[in-house]
Parts: sequence; C-alpha cells; structure tokens
Amino acid sequence: MFKHNIIYSFKLLIKNKVLIFWTLFFPLILATFFHLAFSNISDSEKLNIIDIAIIENELLDNNSYFKESFVYLSSSNENQLFDTIFTTEEDAKELLTNNEIVGYIVLNGDGPSLVVKNSDINTTILKYVIEEINQNSIIINNTLESSVNQNTTINDISNQIISYLSSSNISITDQSSDNVDYMMLPFYSLVAMTALYGGILGVAMINYFLANMSSVGKRVSVSPTKKSILILSGVIASYIIQLLGISLLMFYTSVILNINYGSNVFLVFLLGLVGSLAGLSFGIAVSSLFKVNEDTKTGIIISVTMLGCFLSGMMISSLKYIIDKYIPIVNLFNPASMITDGLYSLYCYDNFNKYWFDIMSLLIFSLLLILLSITSLRRQKYDSI
Amino acid sequence: MNYVIEVEHLTKKYKSFKAIDDLSFKVKKGEILGLLGPNGSGKSTTINCLLALLNFKQGHIKIFGKEMKQDAYDIKQDIGVVFQDVAVFDELTVYENIDYFGGLYIKDKNLRKTYINEALDLVSLKDFAKFYPKQLSGGLIRRLNIACGIVHKPKLIFLDEPTVAVDPQSRNNILNGIRKLRDDGATIIYTTHYMEEAEMICDNIVILDKGNIIAEGSSDELKKLAKIEEKVIVEIMNFDDKYLKMIGKLKNVVDVTYASSILTVKYNKGQNNLVTFIEYLKENKIEYFKIYSERPTLNDVFLEITGKELRD
Amino acid sequence: MIVFKTYLKIINKRKWPIILYTVLLIVFGSITISTSDDNINFVASKPDVLIVNNDDSALTRSLVNYLEENTNIIDTVKLDNVDDALFYREVNYVIYIPSDFETAFMNDDNPSITVKGSGDYYASFGEIILNRYLTVANTYLRLGYDKEDIISNTESVLSNKVDVSLINETDTTTLAKVTYYYNFTNYSILAGLIYAISIVMFSFNKKMICYRTEISSLNKTKYNSYLLLSNGAFALLLWFFYVLLSFIMLGSVMFSISGLLYMINSFFFVFFALTLALLLGKLKLDKNAVGGIINVIALGSSFLCGAFVPAAYLPDMVLKIAHVLPSYYFINNNELIKDIVTFDFGSLLPFVINILIMIGFSVIVILLTNGIGKKNVNTNE
Repeated sequence: MFKHNIIYSFKLLIKNKVLIFWTLFFPLILATFFHLAFSNISDSEKLNIIDIAIIENELLDNNSYFKESFVYLSSSNENQLFDTIFTTEEDAKELLTNNEIVGYIVLNGDGPSLVVKNSDINTTILKYVIEEINQNSIIINNTLESSVNQNTTINDISNQIISYLSSSNISITDQSSDNVDYMMLPFYSLVAMTALYGGILGVAMINYFLANMSSVGKRVSVSPTKKSILILSGVIASYIIQLLGISLLMFYTSVILNINYGSNVFLVFLLGLVGSLAGLSFGIAVSSLFKVNEDTKTGIIISVTMLGCFLSGMMISSLKYIIDKYIPIVNLFNPASMITDGLYSLYCYDNFNKYWFDIMSLLIFSLLLILLSITSLRRQKYDSI
Repeated sequence: MNYVIEVEHLTKKYKSFKAIDDLSFKVKKGEILGLLGPNGSGKSTTINCLLALLNFKQGHIKIFGKEMKQDAYDIKQDIGVVFQDVAVFDELTVYENIDYFGGLYIKDKNLRKTYINEALDLVSLKDFAKFYPKQLSGGLIRRLNIACGIVHKPKLIFLDEPTVAVDPQSRNNILNGIRKLRDDGATIIYTTHYMEEAEMICDNIVILDKGNIIAEGSSDELKKLAKIEEKVIVEIMNFDDKYLKMIGKLKNVVDVTYASSILTVKYNKGQNNLVTFIEYLKENKIEYFKIYSERPTLNDVFLEITGKELRD
Repeated sequence: MIVFKTYLKIINKRKWPIILYTVLLIVFGSITISTSDDNINFVASKPDVLIVNNDDSALTRSLVNYLEENTNIIDTVKLDNVDDALFYREVNYVIYIPSDFETAFMNDDNPSITVKGSGDYYASFGEIILNRYLTVANTYLRLGYDKEDIISNTESVLSNKVDVSLINETDTTTLAKVTYYYNFTNYSILAGLIYAISIVMFSFNKKMICYRTEISSLNKTKYNSYLLLSNGAFALLLWFFYVLLSFIMLGSVMFSISGLLYMINSFFFVFFALTLALLLGKLKLDKNAVGGIINVIALGSSFLCGAFVPAAYLPDMVLKIAHVLPSYYFINNNELIKDIVTFDFGSLLPFVINILIMIGFSVIVILLTNGIGKKNVNTNE
C-alpha cells in the first residue's frame, strides 16, 4: 500500500513539467546567471585600470619619485593600476567633464591634491595610492636631507628606502578562514531557494489529497486508505525530488562553476536535508492552512521564497550585511537566511556553533509548521466543498 | 441486514441556508435508487454527507448497518463513488489511473490486475488503456471516471450524474454497465436529472426539492401521482385560442394549454384519446404538423407536486 | 468599458506577483536610502575595527592612535564572540597585538600581528591601513632610527593626507542612489508587469474566448484597441506608481533635470516591457510556463545587465552579451544620468541614442507580435 502510493506520487510529480522546472531546472539557470555576473568580482585582484591625469608643473618635475611611481604604475604589466596622462590643468578639467578620466592630481606646495567628480571606489583607491606615494616620497626626501653629507649616493639611499617600503619585516598572520569569499553568498542563497521552492511539491501533493481542493481529493477521501498514509507517502516522494534538485544544483555549482561548499561534505549534506525539510513543511503548511486555490498557494510559496532569498543576499550581497548589522531579528524568521548562514559558516568558520544554531532553527521552523498542519489536516471534514 | 443505507432526520445547513432539511430514507440491498431533483435540490450534498465528506449538525447515517464516519474504513472499503466532476490524474494513463485508485482499496497486485481488466471491459476502454486523459473525448473520460470508482467491486455504488454531457453511445454503454453492476449484486445510488434514465434503470426513486423529499416510490407508483394517464401533444401554427375552451370540455380532458406552437391536452383516462382528438381536429379543419401521445413522465409528477419543471 | 472592467477583474486575481516585486523594490529602495555608510554604493567609509592590544607600549599606543584616526574602533564585542561578530558584520577587522610586540619589533625578531577579517572590501581596507603604519615604522627602524624617532617620524609622515576636491555641484551620492533604485526597477517591471499583463492577455487570447469575441457584435479593431488601451493604462499606472515611489523615497533630488531624465528613461523601458508582455500573451504557452519564462527573463537580464551588481563589476564578456538586451540600455542610461553635470547636446546624445535603441527593440517586438497574430488567424481557419 505504502509502496503503491509512493510510486504513484513520484510519477505524478515527475510528470508535472512546471513543478519540475521550478524545482530542478530554474535553480540551475539562475546559478549560470550568477556565475556570469559574479565571476569578475571574485577575481578581485584584477581591478579595472583607472584613467587619471597629472598636471605638469615644476613641483612635479622636482619630485621624480612621485612622477616615476605613476609612470611605473601605468606601464602595461600585470600590476598596472592606472593609465596616466601628463597634461595641463585646462585639458585635465575637460577630460574630467567628459568622463574620460576619473580625476586629476595637482602637486602644489602643501603636497598633492586630487580633483574628482564623484566619490566612489575608484577615487578611494586613487586617494590611497596617492597618499602612499606622497608619504613615501616624503620619507625619501627627509632621509636624503639628513644624510646628505654621507658617502653613499642619493640613488643608493632612495633605492634602499624603496625596497624597505615595498616589503616590511612584520608579518601579519590572517587567522580568518583563508578562503573567505563573499561572492559565494548568492550561490548559498540559491541553495536556500531550491530547498524552499520544494514547498511547491508539497503543495501539489497535499492538494491531491484534499477533498476541497480537487475532485481527485474527494475520490481519495472516500477510499479506505488512511489520509495519514496518503500524505506521508506524498511527502516522502516530494522530499526525494527536492533532494534530487538540491544535489543537482550542488553538483552543478561545485563541479562546473567551482563553488566551494567547504570541506565537510557530511555537514553540507545534513544542511541540505534539513533545509529541504523546512521547505517541504512550509509547503505543507501553506497547503493545509490557507483555503485558497492551488495557483495562489504556489504564488505564496514563490513570493515568500523570493523575498526570503532577497533578504539573505541573493540579488545584492550587501543587503544581507545590512540586515545582519541593523535588523538581525529578520534572520530569526527567514528560513532562507538560516540555510545561507549555515552554508556560509561551514565554509568560513572553524567553529560550528553558528551552523548548529541554524540547523536547530530550521528544525524548529519545520516542526512548528508540521504541527500546525497536522492539527489543521485532522479536521478532515468540511463545512462546504 | 435488510437496508444498505439508513438516513434519519439528516439536516445540513450552509450558514442560514438549509441545503438538506430533515431528510430520512432507506435503501434496500440490490436496488438502484434514483435520486432526482433540479439543480440545487440537495442531491450532491446528500451524497457528500453519506460519504462523510461533509459535516452535518443533525441526523444519523448508517451504512451496512453501521454508523458512517470519516474513519469508518471497513465501510469505505465496500463503497465506490463516481463523482459528477471527472476525478482523474492528467499525468497518469487510463490504466495507471485505475491502478492508482484501485490500489487504495486492493493491496493484492494480481487481484488488482484482474479487477482493472474487468473494469476496462465494463466501460469498454480496453483499447485506450495507454492513453492519457487529455487524449480522450468527453464521453470516454466519463467512462474512465466510472472505471476508477468501481474497480474494487464495491457493494454500494454512488453515481452522481455520470451521464452529464455524454454522447448517446457512451450513455448507453454507461447505463448497461450500471445494470450489470446491479445484476452482480451491488446496491446503487444514482442521481440524475434525466427522467428517462431514472425511469429506465431505477427500482426506486426519491424526488428531492429544496432539501426535502417530495415524493418517493417506484417509477410507476410515482407516475400515478401525476393524476393523468395520457398526454396528447400537437404542433400547430396559428392556433385560435377560441378552441381552448371547447377542447377543455371534451371527454376525460383535465387540462389544456397552448404555448410556443405546442398544444398539450391532458387526459385522466387513457383510451382512444389520440384517435378522438385527431378526428376533432379534422372536424374543425385545424391544420397541424405533428401529433403524438405520451405517457406521463416523472417531469409531470414533479410539475404536479411543485408547480415547476424538473429541468430547470 | 466592459473590456477594461474585465481586464481589471482578471488582473485583480493576479495581483500578488506585482505586489511582491513592488515590495522587493520598496525594501531595496528604503535600505539603499537609509543606510548611512553606503555599503551598497561602495563609497569609501571607515572599516569597523576591533583591537586587542596585549602590549602596552609606546609603539603600540601610537599604532592604536593611528588606527583610531582612520577606522571606527569597536569595543562592544566580546572576545569569545569574534567569529559571530565578523559574521554579522558588527566588526570588519580584528587586530591581535601580541604581548611583546614592541620588543620583537625593535629587535627585528620576527614581529608578527594576528588578524581576522570579514572577507570583504572593508576587511581589505582595514588591512591596508594597518599595513601602512607597520611598513613606514619598519622602514624607519631599518634606516637606523631609535624608538622615539621611529614613532614621531612615522606619525608625522602618515599625517600627510591628500586633499580631495569634488568638482561636481550635483549631489552624486544621492544620484547614485536614484540610479540604484531605477536599476532595480528593471527587475520589478520585468517580473511584475510582464507577468500580470501576459497572464491577462493569455486569458483574453484563449482560443474559445477569441472565437466568442470574434463572433460578437463588437468591432474587432475596436475590441483590440480597447484591450491595448487597458494594457497601456495599466502599464502607465504602474510606471507612475514606481516614479511616485522614487519621489517619496528619494525626495528633492528627483525635482531636477536628472530626475526628469530618470522618469523619461523608465517610461520607455516600461513601454518596451509592455510590448514584450503582449508578445508573450500572444504565444500559445502553458499558463504555468509563462511564470517560469518571465522569471528567467527578469532575473537573467537583471543580472547580466547590471541591475543588481553594478555594470562596472561585470566581466566584459557578459556586458558584450548584454548589448542584445534592452535592459542594458535602460540601465546604461541610469548610469549616464548619474554622471551628467551639464545638460547640453553632447552630454545628452548617448542618453537619446539609448532611448532610440529601446524604441527600436519595442518596434521589433510589436512587428513580431503582429506577425504571430496573423499566422494564428490563418492556422485557425
């Protein structure tokens, strides 16, 4: 009896093209988009080359270290940071107005000053590089002044200082996980989305068994098979397909798109199991608690899932940080962020406290919804059909 | 166990609207009970209550002598239902559908296989076993709907308007099937608003209106309630109303009406009425297209009791 | 009128997706606007740093002073809770100074500092600042200075800042927020508007309903134009609502020529979305399949054209592909508007070209829709 039901539940789900699209293929398509959009950012070493201008004047000619540094940073090699034009102030202004350069540098008595249009990440980088070069040139000049009477040549001293400045003897040991890469986040929330979308399968399955949702449900309700057996077998079939979807996504993202889920495969798998359970119980709850048609039920699942994933950083990673920082309470109600956080903490941190907390949260979330659903499903008779 | 179904004082309300009002009836073993009534008379509600799909506040329902409840699985085992709406999975083939629903009743695989084939035979769907419901015509889907409901050889079968919107060929096929089920020993509750069907196959008929039983008995018993024995129906264009009074005074005539080019004359005794009336028309030189005589139908019974047509 | 009424009734049944995408837009918009530290805009701001100083010495005090000037020092985090704090971005960068750091530093005996970072831009920023002090101090050490001179020289050198002046009189950070808002509408418009309209058109274009209207006494051209007007009115309403939202959330910056340009740009994009929706409604697709297709279109073009991740961060390959999508021109225009300082022919030309391209896309879609319409009539006969 049980086997009979599971086999047929499975058949019903597999043959429903729309359900299969949402749970199996939609996540793969999204993963591909993510990969295309984010592949550059993770490659953060490769910054864009910034177009700048430096105003030619006497002070610049006298400060060869300053000038040479920019020439060096603008020469085409792997470390090229700038594309520098040496020009007059009028030309530079015009270039800036036409957005051909990000900013220009003027050397005057008080040191260099930077003129830019907007303050953004490029101007920030620019500002820091100029400060560093300027400070280095001050060190060199001061040192040369104080050692002017000694026997070493100016070149030797400045070369020595430059080599000191380029490699300090102090080691900075980074104890944070060395593979922290925040561009993994959208992929993690994609796993969350896939798990929660599984709720659609639960909705479809339960609807088949509810007399007020489908005529088939009426037929099933008058049969001598217990409703609990029907629902349990439907739920198990849905769960199997959900796990299939999650595995497919993880396989695709980790093997083909090179997404790292950390080294503990068992814990990742456990999170997948528990996350899918949360999605499934969400679907069951929506299906049994809301007395609306199937389209609306599916709509609720998709909407809540998308909102949850949006808040856990799927579309804009920094949104997650903002919520973590300013309104962390949202995370307590968002199963998507529980799954995302769980994966993230597995990947980034050595201690598993956060991970187990997320697992527990997901289990509590699932349990609550399942209990609610059971109490609702037990009132099996209807006032109207 | 004389009665398969015993319903006592059943009342079902939707808010303030009484869908069923103090309904009581009994169904004998092996009979086909026709449940007749216009739309909204409470037929489907009665069936849904009998099947414990719906809540009800007052009354008792006993099936096979036992109280019918949501978890009365032993009772449910012997009940088969064919719903008004087609209740099959679009995703499964004809065979798979019957197998699935059969599987909810019968665990033994081999027995189920035999039963499925018998059900396919009963509704003549053998050639379509591998088809999906979407590939079937309306009549064939209805037949599949029936096969799904009776595959487990139930002792009590509910058929809720199984012939709605069905072509004549499928309809005859379905009616023959139902007779065969009865002959095999099943008790059948049959709701319909096709009077001819009920007259043809039902042993007993219950007529419902507004949640009440307004008449019950065999087809013949009910027809006696209509107080007429024969109707003569004539299609006449441009009938002069002055003849109406004259016709009304003819022998045995109880009522005469003319509407939409049709003249209906009702007689309380039924001998030679047609011949006499044809002669009357000849004498008065009234031209007509068509003239025929009819025995009273359940519709006349319904009309007599409620003053309105059954087919609303 | 009856057409419009029916239209509204059907759309009312399908209102949830539109509400969802509008909610996402509002959440996104209000967060963009309310965050003072401009996380979303990647504008330079100070990283949050936690210092654990186990070496109370002149050198480390100087280092801590320098860090205090250049970062936000966080002292509310418990030490055993550092990982969680990093996870929740309560702190970006944690610096552990060991107990004998100054001694090791002065003796050049493998001095080392342990750090933990949140793995993002701010963490790297924190590291740059820390490294800067250590490098300069170490250079002075290797040049042979004594402790006092190392500290004082380092401090004086690092106090040389670069003076940054902005020549832009318009408020670019606020305009950047407007651009972010309108870029995000790319998603809301595509996902919400197209879904609603194509589902409604799907109902109207059902074969039997088509036949019914075909045989009705209502003039077919009239009927079609009513339908088109209903769609247009609905799209216009939604556009107006999104524009109104931008006024409410972003305020005065919208009352400017830039604001007007954002409105014009989004108007043409909504127009394109409308034509695309009509095309999808014409295609005889499964009702449920429409939802899937639209989600793929909306999310795909939003990711590939820079609605979520700024276009500047997208790989060149992706941006080249994106050129075939109208969203690219819509988003490109939003980015352009942000940077326009003087409104003259030269600065507005690229804007106008992008608008023309969007109109071009719309025309192509309209032609396609008409082509399909004709074909359908023929096959039905």
